[in-house]
Amino acid sequence: MNLARDIIDKQVVDKNQAKMGKVDGVVLALHGGKPPVVSYIEIGGITLARRVGRRTERFIRLLKKRWGSPRAQQPYRVAWRQVRDIGVDIEIALDVRETPVNDWQNWLRDKVIRRIPGS
Amino acid sequence: MMREINAELLLGRRVLAPDGRSVGRIEEIVAEPQGSVLAVREYHLGSYALMERLAATPFGRAMLDFFYGSGIGQGYRVPWDKLDLTDPEKPRLLCALADLETLKRA
Amino acid sequence: MDKLLEVSLGIVTSVGGYLEIGSIATSAQAGAAFGFQLLWALVLGTLCIIVLVEMSGRFAAVSHHTISDAMRERFGFNFFLLPLTVTVLLNLMVLSAEIGGVALAGEFATGIGHQWWAVPVGIVVWLLLWKGTFGLIEKGVALLGLVTLVFVVAAVKLGPDWKDLLRSAVPSLPQQDSARYWFLAASILGATISPYLFLFYSSGAIEDHWNESYLWANRAIAGIGMTFGGVISASTLVLAALVMPPSGIRDVNDYHQLPLLLTKVFGFWGLVLFIASLAIACLGAALEIALQQAYLVAQGFGWNWGKDLMPEAAPAFSLVYTLSVIIAVVPMVLGVDPLNLTVFSMALTAASLPLTILPFIFLMNDKRFVKQHTNGRLGNIAIMAIIALGFVLAIATIPLEILSGG
Repeated sequence: MNLARDIIDKQVVDKNQAKMGKVDGVVLALHGGKPPVVSYIEIGGITLARRVGRRTERFIRLLKKRWGSPRAQQPYRVAWRQVRDIGVDIEIALDVRETPVNDWQNWLRDKVIRRIPGS
Repeated sequence: MMREINAELLLGRRVLAPDGRSVGRIEEIVAEPQGSVLAVREYHLGSYALMERLAATPFGRAMLDFFYGSGIGQGYRVPWDKLDLTDPEKPRLLCALADLETLKRA
Repeated sequence: MDKLLEVSLGIVTSVGGYLEIGSIATSAQAGAAFGFQLLWALVLGTLCIIVLVEMSGRFAAVSHHTISDAMRERFGFNFFLLPLTVTVLLNLMVLSAEIGGVALAGEFATGIGHQWWAVPVGIVVWLLLWKGTFGLIEKGVALLGLVTLVFVVAAVKLGPDWKDLLRSAVPSLPQQDSARYWFLAASILGATISPYLFLFYSSGAIEDHWNESYLWANRAIAGIGMTFGGVISASTLVLAALVMPPSGIRDVNDYHQLPLLLTKVFGFWGLVLFIASLAIACLGAALEIALQQAYLVAQGFGWNWGKDLMPEAAPAFSLVYTLSVIIAVVPMVLGVDPLNLTVFSMALTAASLPLTILPFIFLMNDKRFVKQHTNGRLGNIAIMAIIALGFVLAIATIPLEILSGG
């Protein structure tokens, strides 16, 4: 399996095929003397920002500190063993509602969209 | 002692050989199941590895060859234990360049 | 039978939704300045957009991912940032011009300046997106957009020399004013080969739940729909060529000159039809561009997206088109001339084509996405030619604009 070709930046879907963002990062666990192990996939603005650059990462972290819930302060990680299928999408064995990936969109929905008539 | 690094940050990083020469950029990380875990087997470096990643077909490869000039693309396989990731921003090769297997044109 | 209905609807949508302020402005300028001579640019542009639209549709139908999805998935986020930023900015500019187009229609109808129409038009665009379903917008644009066929009727009525037209379908060199000639050619290509068109088309294919059984429908819609659309643009050019010079206009630089295209032929009713066509065509384009903006950003980041979803189910997606409309209204309110903005953004579109077209050569040959429906040799040659054209435009357009005095 090729990480860049098959996993990074691919669409993540939950067990109900609901979209969950794209794979923004993959965490490797390094144990000295043993091959690095793929331990988590990361989804989140901080991980993505870090790929662009240090300043972008700092900026996103600042935004999250100001506006985000406590669990938004670190990137969201899905353990590799939760990955069920790898094809055009990466399917994981969780329900998106159990995860924090939609927290900010839920906030948008509750605080802003629900207030606008006709939604 | 366990450390964590992010694979996506390794992509595109230049790897230096012990003598300071540049081996190429990390373009792909190949992993395979080992028992119940997915473990990294090797890294693919060099412009040829990039071509591999972008061009899924012989046609695409031919096109890239046309732009790069045939043969300019070089690619190396680096087994997992030959890459020193103590500083993830400056990966170092742990063996001689000549010891590396090249990526063959399919 | 069902498929036939869908294909017909698809064709009608492509026809009705084809004309917008970019094609009207560039065709009018080309016709006024050079007669039929630049018709070949329209023909070339139409051929290119047929190829790109067919490929976008095929890609989406087979892979169930859009081109925008795949641009990140295949090339990585860091590469994707470039076409993302450029397309987002360009979309805002073109959206602004389209809102300006509808506003101009309001000005022609009532005499009230287009700056005052900008906000009401923005609100209408937003409301339609907020409350309307994809199907409603698609069908509405399609059917109402057929009013633009009046341009074809008018052009035929004026009885252009068909031999002249056919001759102009082949490229020819200008006798004078080279810089302006080639700049107009580039703008026509930028107006015809608009990335938002084929990106929107691939999102639309997903919204309409296309699958592999739609490949022939896709070819029909792309081929027939875009051809008809091209005919309408061509009619605008022909009208300009026949109507403007006799009125002493060789340089269409004032939007007040535009209604002449139809008033010369139909008098008062020509004005009515022009206002209706302009309003509907630009409104349709505005809706498409705003939606495309939301699709692009949502797909780039992997969020839930879809017009048929209520705003509640896709909050970020709705936020993107809302913000886009708000930002796009601003230049019009500030009094930016819609015609100038249009020509400028068409030139920029031409100059940025390689960014959005280059991925096609990789994506359309990637079996993981399109399975066995990869491009044949002909398809690859076509896309390479279009990419080459894109690079030529990228290098030449801005210098040409400067040389020709804008």
